[in-house]
Amino acid sequence: MVRYAVRRLLLAFPTLLAVLTIIFVIVRVAPGDPATAALGDYASEEAVRALRQRMGLDRPLWLQYLSFLTGLLRGDLGKSLITGQPVVDQIRHVLPYTVELTLAAIVIGLVIGIPLGIVTAIRRNTLVDYVGRVVSLAGLSVPAFYLGILLIYLFAVRLRLFPALGAAEFSRPGAHLHALVLPAVSLGLIEAAYVTRMARSVVLSVLHEDYVRTARAKGLPERIVLFGHALRSAMIPLVSLIGLFAISLIGGSVLTEEVFARPGLGKLMIGAMKQKDYTMLQSIMVVYAFIIVLINLVTDLLYGVVDPRVRYE
Amino acid sequence: MDAHRPMDEGKRRGIARGMTRRAVLRRVAAIGLAASAFAPLLAACRREEATPAPGGGTPQPATPAPGVETPTAAQTPAGATPTPTAERAVLNYGVGAADITTLDPHFAAATQDRNIVDMVFNALIRYKPGDSTQFEPDLAVEIPEPEETPEGKQVWIFTLRQGVMWHVGPQSEAYELTADDVVYSLQKSANKDRSAYAADYAGMTFEKVDTYTVKVTVERPLSPTLFLPKVANYNGGFIVSRRAVEAMGDEAIKTHPIGTGPFKFKSYASKDRVELEANNGYFRSAPKLAGVQVRFMSDATSRELALKSGEMDVVSGVSDSAWVQKINQEPKLQADVFGVGEVAFLNLNTAREPLNDIRVRQAILYAIDRDAHLAVFGGPPVAQNVFSVVPAAFMRGGLTEEEAQQNGVAYGRDLDRSRQLLAEAGLGGGFTLKMVTSEMDAYRKNYEVLQDELRQIGITVELDVVDHPTMHRLIREDVNPIVIYVAFRPNADVYLTQFFHSDSIVVTGPKPNTNFSHYDQIDDLIEQARVETDPKRQEELWKQANIKILQDAVGFPLHFINQVYGRSKAVDYGHELKASLALYPGFTEQTVVRK
Repeated sequence: MVRYAVRRLLLAFPTLLAVLTIIFVIVRVAPGDPATAALGDYASEEAVRALRQRMGLDRPLWLQYLSFLTGLLRGDLGKSLITGQPVVDQIRHVLPYTVELTLAAIVIGLVIGIPLGIVTAIRRNTLVDYVGRVVSLAGLSVPAFYLGILLIYLFAVRLRLFPALGAAEFSRPGAHLHALVLPAVSLGLIEAAYVTRMARSVVLSVLHEDYVRTARAKGLPERIVLFGHALRSAMIPLVSLIGLFAISLIGGSVLTEEVFARPGLGKLMIGAMKQKDYTMLQSIMVVYAFIIVLINLVTDLLYGVVDPRVRYE
Repeated sequence: MDAHRPMDEGKRRGIARGMTRRAVLRRVAAIGLAASAFAPLLAACRREEATPAPGGGTPQPATPAPGVETPTAAQTPAGATPTPTAERAVLNYGVGAADITTLDPHFAAATQDRNIVDMVFNALIRYKPGDSTQFEPDLAVEIPEPEETPEGKQVWIFTLRQGVMWHVGPQSEAYELTADDVVYSLQKSANKDRSAYAADYAGMTFEKVDTYTVKVTVERPLSPTLFLPKVANYNGGFIVSRRAVEAMGDEAIKTHPIGTGPFKFKSYASKDRVELEANNGYFRSAPKLAGVQVRFMSDATSRELALKSGEMDVVSGVSDSAWVQKINQEPKLQADVFGVGEVAFLNLNTAREPLNDIRVRQAILYAIDRDAHLAVFGGPPVAQNVFSVVPAAFMRGGLTEEEAQQNGVAYGRDLDRSRQLLAEAGLGGGFTLKMVTSEMDAYRKNYEVLQDELRQIGITVELDVVDHPTMHRLIREDVNPIVIYVAFRPNADVYLTQFFHSDSIVVTGPKPNTNFSHYDQIDDLIEQARVETDPKRQEELWKQANIKILQDAVGFPLHFINQVYGRSKAVDYGHELKASLALYPGFTEQTVVRK
């Protein structure tokens, strides 16, 4: 398994290189430049030119690309074009916030979505099923940021149960979790809607398998049929779905972090886009690409855990 | 467990399905309970009023640098024993931006940067807090009168306050401000590699006379209106610490400013917040606040909700009078609308057919309905009428409504006259203009109103909506026959030079800037006014320039847009709020939050 993991990681390098190149080009093709963004429209052309020179943006593009790549190979993500601070420090600071938000949302999504999916599957075409499907459809239709605003209005402004914004420091776990609730719920509820529909569909298909019919024919109690036989094999597609959910949640966290003014990779990325901070933007993208590769790898490895037929060749 | 309980075959057949459902539901309930495992823990946590910065921000040095003198009560101005910090509130300020750009005051241009710099630094003189039309001494003991040398140069002598202490820096102690700092700082402002505002200091030299005296020599004499802003708390006028900058370097002060102001830098967490704390040794008096926490909140709805929930004390608002009304309906909140106002104005390209015909340009101006443009921002108080590109409400040299009417340049909607002028120009059948607009409301909505206005006189406007930086690039490439620009500039000279002096003509001018109209008929007026030292005569020249711009129909003011903020009524700024060049209400040592 270790050899397989190492091989997968090595194979990811060409993908990462392609992503890096595309990102490098895209951020520079986009209109506007960091010097103008930094100085505003009041500054003279001369001042903008001088700043561009200091930022190294007057160097040929291939040279900028080369120094970006060599920096990466040395593990150096560079310095923010705007603030001059090391990018790696800023990413290291916000990454735990994004990771915990994503994990919390996954937990909420699974804890609500899987049971709901199972219930709606085994009680197919009953009132419970209809209600579950309507609720999950509603969840799919609401953008996370909008749900976030609704939650803030209800629980922070009206009921004053949770803070509207941000995150407390990790050294105060109580306050920290308190601040995490609304963002995690707004992201998790929408994920729960996806999980519900997926779980329902998977369980429904498994319930029609021959071995389930055989188990029932043997006279096993339904719960044993369900939990001992059907759900075990239903877990296999769900594992890969969890990987997909994690990836979509990392993407979805961008707007949630913005709405809750919460530190995180997404907020960092939006800020970098607004400021045209090329170095910061491309480094964040590198981190995102790496996280996605990593999640895919972990998902593949988890297959082996839930499905003994899988062999890492 | 139920699954292991003996059960006869008949019963199993009879209830297996029902039992299983119950079992499943029980398990679902169990999982649900697990999900709510957060709840008791979370419910136990009462909501924090103000959360300190999460870890990872720029650390405050635990101990001062060697030789650091921590300001003591003895350094506090006489009779101003500060209230213990714990008893004072921290003001939470939600600013509509993603992050700082730079806190080096000589580069700070973005609103959030200007706000922070304003709290941390001082200048020789300052705009009165909340009123940018008046100066008062700041680090200087008084505002001097200029003297002329036999060579025709102008000299300004500034005497510094004594006992003004610099904030402690990571590599510098809290030493006393002297003329060395002031000379160093102004020289930095004049250096194009170390300042974005170097052009403002061309032809100026700075010398130390003694420890507390600084001499500024100006090659070509300037009126106080044009000179004083250069040494005031705006752009290059802020005074930085020589020792701190030399020790830290220009790069480091972008995220760790060291000043003499009422608040000193505490920490910075990228894209999240900047924390400032009270400078108890501030030379005016110790601040009534324990500090100011600036939170970066790009989303306007989030800021509004945080204000309503009480987590923010002041937030930047939305430029719409409907928003102002909405906030004022909240019993504990207050919307503040104040200057300085950014002027939205038309620039008509005289180098482009058919706008090179003055009758066509006048026809366009007679089609403009000022009220329709005001409505873009919900009308007053957020947007207000203005009658020259230089706004008379905020600076000398602009035209009031009466002056515009007296000089016959107020225009006003008159579609018949408009059509008649077009017919005289041989364009009675109409024509088409292609333009780009930014996606930003202040631009796009004004262009859309203009599109509708011109449609009514037979002119078709084809609008291409692009993102804001692209619009700025394209209009500087001269693609638009009519440019709508929204801008504030600190005085009439800058407005007129940047937008109507021939040097500034886009693409073809010797110093291309923002003269989109390719206008070259008021260069002499601008230049005369620039060197005119008699304020009244200078103002008169600027007014003449504004009248000429309108007579020639090359520029036309639509409205100015005020600054809009929301605040808790518990906040008292400590000054009246009319206009602020720092683009926020102004938090000083007198500002207080009564929580």
